[in-house]
Amino acid sequence: MDNELNLKYNMTDEELFAPVDHNDLESEKITAPRYSYWRSVFRVFFRKKINIIILLLLVFIIVFAYVYPAIIHYDPDVNPYVNLLDSSSKHLGPSAAMNYFGKNIHWILGTGASGESTFDSIWYGSKISISLAFICAAINMTVGVLVGAVWGFSKRVDMFMTEVYNIVGNVPSILLISVLAMLFSPTFWTMVFALTVIGWLGIAYFIRTQVVIIRDREYNLASRCLGTSTIKIAMKNILPFMTSVIVTMLATELPSYISTEVFLAYIGMGMSDMSLGRLIYAAEGAMVTPGWEMEFWSPVAIASVIAVVLYVVGQNLGDASDPRTHM
Amino acid sequence: MQQMGKYLVKRLLHGIVSIICVVIIVMILVYSLLDREIIFAGDPNYSKMQSNARVSYMYSRYESFGYVDYVPYSEFINEKLSTGELTDELRADAVRLGKTAGDDNETAKSFTNQFTELYKSRGYEIIRLDADVKSNGQVKDGGQAAIFAYRDRPLISRLVSYFTDMFYIDNIHYVPDTVDIGKRGLTFTLFDPVYNTGTSSRKFAPAIIGNGTMHKYLLYFDNNFPFIHQNFLTLHLGESYTVNRGIDVFQTMTDSQGSYVLHNMTFPTGLNEDSADDLHTATYAQGSRDINKVYAERFLDDYTNVSTTKFGMSRLGYSFVIGIISTILAYILGLPIGLLMARYKEGILDKIGTVYIMFIIAVPSLAYIFLFKAIGGSAFHLPTVFNIDSTDKLMYILPIISLALPSVANLMKWMRRYMIDQMNSDYVKFARSGGLSETEIFAKHIWKNAAIPITHGIPGSVIFAMTGAIITERVYSVPGAGGLLTVAINRYDNGVIVGVTLFYAVLSVISIILGDVLMSMVDPRISFSEKAR
Repeated sequence: MDNELNLKYNMTDEELFAPVDHNDLESEKITAPRYSYWRSVFRVFFRKKINIIILLLLVFIIVFAYVYPAIIHYDPDVNPYVNLLDSSSKHLGPSAAMNYFGKNIHWILGTGASGESTFDSIWYGSKISISLAFICAAINMTVGVLVGAVWGFSKRVDMFMTEVYNIVGNVPSILLISVLAMLFSPTFWTMVFALTVIGWLGIAYFIRTQVVIIRDREYNLASRCLGTSTIKIAMKNILPFMTSVIVTMLATELPSYISTEVFLAYIGMGMSDMSLGRLIYAAEGAMVTPGWEMEFWSPVAIASVIAVVLYVVGQNLGDASDPRTHM
Repeated sequence: MQQMGKYLVKRLLHGIVSIICVVIIVMILVYSLLDREIIFAGDPNYSKMQSNARVSYMYSRYESFGYVDYVPYSEFINEKLSTGELTDELRADAVRLGKTAGDDNETAKSFTNQFTELYKSRGYEIIRLDADVKSNGQVKDGGQAAIFAYRDRPLISRLVSYFTDMFYIDNIHYVPDTVDIGKRGLTFTLFDPVYNTGTSSRKFAPAIIGNGTMHKYLLYFDNNFPFIHQNFLTLHLGESYTVNRGIDVFQTMTDSQGSYVLHNMTFPTGLNEDSADDLHTATYAQGSRDINKVYAERFLDDYTNVSTTKFGMSRLGYSFVIGIISTILAYILGLPIGLLMARYKEGILDKIGTVYIMFIIAVPSLAYIFLFKAIGGSAFHLPTVFNIDSTDKLMYILPIISLALPSVANLMKWMRRYMIDQMNSDYVKFARSGGLSETEIFAKHIWKNAAIPITHGIPGSVIFAMTGAIITERVYSVPGAGGLLTVAINRYDNGVIVGVTLFYAVLSVISIILGDVLMSMVDPRISFSEKAR
């Protein structure tokens, strides 16, 4: 009778254990460790140190892009941020600008074509480009996922939407964007409209394919046989499966808007706001001029950094949101 | 096989319907939604013109851009002159309009009434502009009275005429029947006159020559690819107005560019000189010899409109050469690397490859193209600017690399993904339990199954190599087809916009169908017959 517990607590069996009544209801319950999906996602995400660093970098860039221009009340058209009349202040390299204006954070990247601070303008541009990317991604992902889910579930909708997809997919998006930009003035919100008016279609098609793949799996068939409603199947059986797909997609979508914006601005169809794309477009000539390279490469570099950081965070979050990695 | 044929015809018809829908959408976009007056924004003539002349000019430009049908009164008068309903003596009276409709002389009144009735009955709107008179009674500059008829081209008629004019079959009634050009007809010759003028030697070159047709040479041989050429059927995708005036989109894309290549040649009249003219391309231009002495000295008939031989390739040619090489390069590099990444998953190659894929996906394409331009130009001293008149092969290198980079990343990504998906399948476990080595499993089993979805994209990437890439071509100033659409949009060239869009849509429909066919050829399990589906 002397086992470890008896010795440890110096108690007899009667003192250690109490008899429990037999309970049919309790015996049917299955106990498992408490599992919270999102807590597990973040546990897996933060397990890698590199993710914490990149996330901090992302947060820093976003906060800086919004806070810095607000603090200095930066407006690309207003003095004292442009020095149009002072011809010797234009196109200065970092050291020349420091010598000319004095040592200040504004001049660490030199000056641009109208004597403005390159450092200030790339942060203002980042703010606009990041806003564009987030707003467009939010709209397109929401509409795309909702439409894609319906598209995948209903065969009748599928027939119709596939035709729409085949037709609209062949209309050049550059044409549509430029027509919209000419119809309305090429402002920020026109650009948002132009990028979202058919942008959701590709996402919806992708989601539709995923839904079609999972829809007829055995567990969903079984669920339907047991009388689960379609909405419940969509919400409880399919949506959790899709979370990692959606997050991974968001990781490619977000940087793609920054790329698209840069591309459109470069071919002369961008918006009127001084976004990163506009800065690159305006400074294109400066790339080949010796001593002016900073003007061109600074916005290119910041656009690339933002895009890469967004992509890496999104990809790793996507990996973490796959329940199979939660073990 | 017959089932497959049936299925493909069905797909093709389906494709044609979607192409028509695409053209409708684009026509609505460019003709109906856009503000027409935008075309005058950069037009110096428009801002110079005043008063009534400006209004007439406006409508004539609208017609050029394809918005309206526009008939000025003078055109109507000329028509009446040619039919003999109006004599030369009365002409001066008929065109002299009064300051207002009430001031017209009798002849003008009768002809303007005829004009109004005729075009009203055709659904036109008649606009009479009264003279714009200064306070002293003089007519202002450009303020003469004018009358013209116009009507908006409705979408349906525009669409129907676009598709019916798309294919032109050359026939001997192209030249108006009123013009005497001798005996009309097609003649077959074994000795092409282009090669057999002035020389006594007989060079064997079969050709079909037409009289009364649009093209003089309907079938001929020369030493340019594809060596045999026909002009029986010509394709019209839409006439350009601002990009390449009066020239069809298809021709804009396929005509050679660059400086003229002169070679010694003999014209039909026997005149011998160095010229770049390509006599095989002669088309009919009525009365051209009477107007222009240059033509009269060189040609025996009015087939005087020839195109010229130029040094460079066509837009499609440049885009295709660069595109196809980079596509081949992408497949040669991308597939094996993707395969190795999957084979040695989590290994060093996989990690480097993943970083590369991430770089290409996330970084704006503009950024890495410029980066490679800078590296290639300064570190390797490669030419960074394309020169159309140079034979230097080195100038192709950077555009090809820039174009191949993203495709390599894309192929790596998908190949790795498909391989890894296959690696967990039961047949692989079975093969492994059967004692096959990993290399054998990869080379004989997984690779074959993973390559199936990859084959679907091959026809598309080959076909779309032709259309060129906007940024790459712009950055390296390649005279390719990639920028045609953006140039057309910037210059409001509606004909080109519609033509290029149609061209792209046709290519995409064809490449998807070809992709399906190729996939079903590679994988016998995939069948497109109706029963199996």
